[in-house]
Amino acid sequence: MAAILEVTGLHKHFGGVHVTRDVNFSMEEGEQSAIIGPNGAGKSTFMNLLTGYYRCDAGKAVFEGQDITNWPPHRIARMGISRAFQISSIFSKMTVAENVRSAVHAQMRRSFSIFGVAARIGVEETGRVLALCGLEGKRDLIAGELAQGDKKRLELAIALAGRPRLLFLDEPTAGMSIEEARSTMELVDRLNRELRLTVLFTEHDMGIVFNHARKLTLMHRGEIVVKGTPEEVRANEIAQKVYLGERNA
Amino acid sequence: MSAGNSNWWSRFYARYGVSGPAALIMFVFFLLVPLLPGEFWTVVGTEILILGLLAMSFNLLYGYMGQISFGHAAFFGLGAYATAMLFTSLKTPAGAIEIPEFLLSLLVGPPVAALGALIVGFFCVRLTGIYFAMLSLAFGELLFYIVFSWYSFTKGDDGIQGLLPPHFFQDASNYYYLTLAIVVAALLLMWRITESPFGYIMRTLRDNQRRAAFLGINVRLHMLMNFVIAGAFAGLAGALWGPFSRSVSPGLLGWQESGIAVFMTLIGGAGAFIGPIIGSVIYTMLQAVVKMYTVYWPLTIGTIILLIVLFVPGGVLGLVEKQLKARQGRMHDAGNGTDET
Repeated sequence: MAAILEVTGLHKHFGGVHVTRDVNFSMEEGEQSAIIGPNGAGKSTFMNLLTGYYRCDAGKAVFEGQDITNWPPHRIARMGISRAFQISSIFSKMTVAENVRSAVHAQMRRSFSIFGVAARIGVEETGRVLALCGLEGKRDLIAGELAQGDKKRLELAIALAGRPRLLFLDEPTAGMSIEEARSTMELVDRLNRELRLTVLFTEHDMGIVFNHARKLTLMHRGEIVVKGTPEEVRANEIAQKVYLGERNA
Repeated sequence: MSAGNSNWWSRFYARYGVSGPAALIMFVFFLLVPLLPGEFWTVVGTEILILGLLAMSFNLLYGYMGQISFGHAAFFGLGAYATAMLFTSLKTPAGAIEIPEFLLSLLVGPPVAALGALIVGFFCVRLTGIYFAMLSLAFGELLFYIVFSWYSFTKGDDGIQGLLPPHFFQDASNYYYLTLAIVVAALLLMWRITESPFGYIMRTLRDNQRRAAFLGINVRLHMLMNFVIAGAFAGLAGALWGPFSRSVSPGLLGWQESGIAVFMTLIGGAGAFIGPIIGSVIYTMLQAVVKMYTVYWPLTIGTIILLIVLFVPGGVLGLVEKQLKARQGRMHDAGNGTDET
């Protein structure tokens, strides 16, 4: 199957610290995989590089055959790459529905429309995303006043609003109750299965990782240590030493 | 009957918030102002409308985009000067101007101001927060200084005098109604813009610029467009100012004039669409009255701003909205109570 994302030789340093070192990585369309690794391994930096938040010092990223290396975030987003943040990053003074609706408008390329009526554009798509994320009942609440778990769900809803083809989730269940985490990951599974959305997530909870990722990539000190199926990574000696081992011990 | 009423009211309130009723009530009052005896309140009313439009345009940047500009009057002044210059060149040798030429000179204000805003905005939108504020102030003062010292073109410190409108509009009531019509039309257009997809994108930029960028929003380009729109509306206010006060001077571009827009917005409430106009009503009327009795106007307004910022951070309309919400909540509870019994 064709690679949707192809990363070669990605390199980033802040001063003398190499946060990402010669990373080669690829994803196939419809894949759902996870990046794991200890704090400071470079997982978030990797996502920040691929979504244009940081510029890389060397290397190349190709999405659907298009070189997107060092493109600004808004251009990468328009290509169909979306992301949700670890600490929910929402529009806190707007209502839940307005949050999603503006994301829908952005993806419809209607963001410059000054004479359209916002409340009448992208209504269906907004409703679909709210329903998908179980937020219909909270559509008129102010986003900043939501409970933590709902904020994370809204975070995901905003990321989904543009019907992305590749979705990065940075710790999607952090701060959620066990029940919320389960339903969120079930939603991710469904999106991946039904819409063939390609998903890459980072996660600290190994239970979630082994249940919901079909492929794993272990990062350590900015480098990829091992890639493979959950079983392969679990069996890997280095993986046990740098990450998994401390938990099994 | 009362149920029908409250239904109508709640739908109206849901759609327009506290701005809806406030705008309706104010509009009725504004229509009646020239019926008051003497010209005094008609002149004050004209000033309220023009400066209110300036404050409203400022709030497109502050309330909707989340950036504070201390140089917004530069575009007010550019519009005023553009109109004044065209006005002067269209006057007959005898010093009179016909109505079509007069209206044409008003039309030139907004595009010239918008062009100025495009150039200034190109640099300002690269920054946010205090840096945006400082750069806007610097550009405002720069433009002020250019107008102030380019004597051969702008008449410098002397300003441009003799902007006597056509005979019909020399009557205070007629000029007032012209101003009212133009300002109302401008506010309707502004309302439309703030309720458009673009208007809501502005709110996303106010709340979280980084997130907006990851949705595919070109942050700077959207900010620049809003800056130009705000500049054009400020220019329209400026265009109305010259013929109203019969002259323009460099002070119209200065930071003190920009400060007035900031004050009005804070007093009225930046969170409600119509807030800055309410602020203009309070500020301008207060100024007119206070100046009759004392020369300590700056001291008075300084004290008021201090109290507002400390105790009513949402401005007058913010306070009203809070009261209404609390009351609705109480009524809701009471309604539930009677249902149960």
